Amino acid sequence: MSFDVPDDLRYLESHEWVRTDDGTARVGITDFAQDELGDVVFVELPNEGDEVAAGDEFGVVESIKAVSDVYAPVSGTVTAVNEALFDQPELVNEDPFGEGWMLDVELADESELDDLLGAEAYRDQTE
Amino acid sequence: MTDESSPYAPHTPAETEAMLDAVGVDDVEALFDVPDSVAFDGDFGIPAHGEREARREAAKLLGRNDELTEFLGRGHYTHYVPSVVEDLSSRSEFLTSYTQYQPEIAQGFLQALFEYQSMLVELTGLDVANCSMYDEATALGEAATLSQRVRSVSGETILVPEHLRAGKRAVLENYADGPGLDIESYPMADGQADIEALAETVDTDVAMVYAETPTVRGVVEERLADIGDLAEDNDALFCLGSDPVALSLLERPADVGADVVVGDAASLGTGTAYGFGLGMFATREEYLRQVPGRLVGASEDADGRRAYTLTLQTREQHIRKERATSNICTNQAWVALRAAMHAAWLGPDGLVDLAEDCVTRPRDLAARLDEVVGVQAPVHDGHHFREFVAHTDQPARAVVDDLAADGYGVHAIGEHLIQVAATEATAEAEEGFVGAVTEVAK
Repeated sequence: MSFDVPDDLRYLESHEWVRTDDGTARVGITDFAQDELGDVVFVELPNEGDEVAAGDEFGVVESIKAVSDVYAPVSGTVTAVNEALFDQPELVNEDPFGEGWMLDVELADESELDDLLGAEAYRDQTE
Repeated sequence: MTDESSPYAPHTPAETEAMLDAVGVDDVEALFDVPDSVAFDGDFGIPAHGEREARREAAKLLGRNDELTEFLGRGHYTHYVPSVVEDLSSRSEFLTSYTQYQPEIAQGFLQALFEYQSMLVELTGLDVANCSMYDEATALGEAATLSQRVRSVSGETILVPEHLRAGKRAVLENYADGPGLDIESYPMADGQADIEALAETVDTDVAMVYAETPTVRGVVEERLADIGDLAEDNDALFCLGSDPVALSLLERPADVGADVVVGDAASLGTGTAYGFGLGMFATREEYLRQVPGRLVGASEDADGRRAYTLTLQTREQHIRKERATSNICTNQAWVALRAAMHAAWLGPDGLVDLAEDCVTRPRDLAARLDEVVGVQAPVHDGHHFREFVAHTDQPARAVVDDLAADGYGVHAIGEHLIQVAATEATAEAEEGFVGAVTEVAK
């Protein structure tokens, strides 16, 4: 089966995506990741105002068959968390690149984006 | 490792040898990687005995116990345990050293634990209860670390009443040491929390305020709602210590703003022997994923029948060691089973009757002791539950020793203060006890 890998995003090998917009990065997990996990039942996220560092875990996604740490693709300050996921964790399955987003991070260092995978490279990794 | 087989160990030396060969190691020690720095390499100094000899030895040791009628209290309470509890809990389906959690084979046990949790939820008014902690001191320690995890602002202080039993405080301090929490006391006045002094002490650096009802002096805490408000105003958790018998009569913790309820539930189902504890732990649903210990949940099986299973296990260390809510693995499932049986046998009305006895008996006994020359009781104003403090003109230590010589056990808690517990279990002994106090307190 082929998974959705939007061209305008950047990716981590550990299956997180980043969408940047004017110095802010929105972070979530990929279609491939949600499919691997199965039904998501719980998402644990940091608080607004917390600092995250590229490569460090920032939260936890728990599904009916696994618990996975989620890693930050970029460093910076958390400006928003998707509180909808606390009541509707299934949004991660239903719309991983949209309603299922996790964090908005104010980028501390835009050059970190260069270290991430493009859509093509990520697609190769998951096929 | 013994070099000879034993009727109690299944493997003969030859079998052991064969197994070691199969995995390719020389001796059993090679299977374990215990650093020398922590390995015990000595003699336990326990001589081997045959069974009959061991029984004789044990009987001799037990014979050294004082045969006292206990009016002791202070955390250990005697209530009559109906024989049905002993009988049912001793069935082989229940009585095993292996706690039965596998839903495929342990529906009965899991249901009993679910009933125990449900009982605590009903008594506390909170949403979630686990199916036991080791004892009330560890439950308190777990509440303290939970408060640090769930609080949105930083704060490192845990406030406890100045009169807190030493063992409980020691365990709490042990718990607090790792995560860097500070334990501080607030004063008590006349056996209850000194609310005005507490208000001075609570600030935003406080992660949790702990109070007890009944207090360590046996007094029913009357201003719990005020303590709850103080905690809430400072964004601190309010942890309340109590027990299921008291809670069947006193106001529900949830109604006074308690976020966590801890305590010892072993006043039901087990006697005071063995130092048994049964740590109860109940909290609000919003902290569900921060609850330590085991949770039994009710679900449905593939055929739509009600089925019980351990749930939300990702909180636990066997799933994720470094991210676990707690590293306690001790569970008192069988003791909880007995407490649930005892409570179910009494039923709601029976439980209330038992609790009312715990109010009237100490009240009446205190009144009788107050008439004894050289005794004033109770020392504290207010309502008492199970126990009270009395003042003796004679030194308390001497009074306690003289009473012990007469066959009665009470606590000395100060120069001229003794603490006396009275429940339905001591009813028949009260007459003699008052007589003995009359003799020794003059």
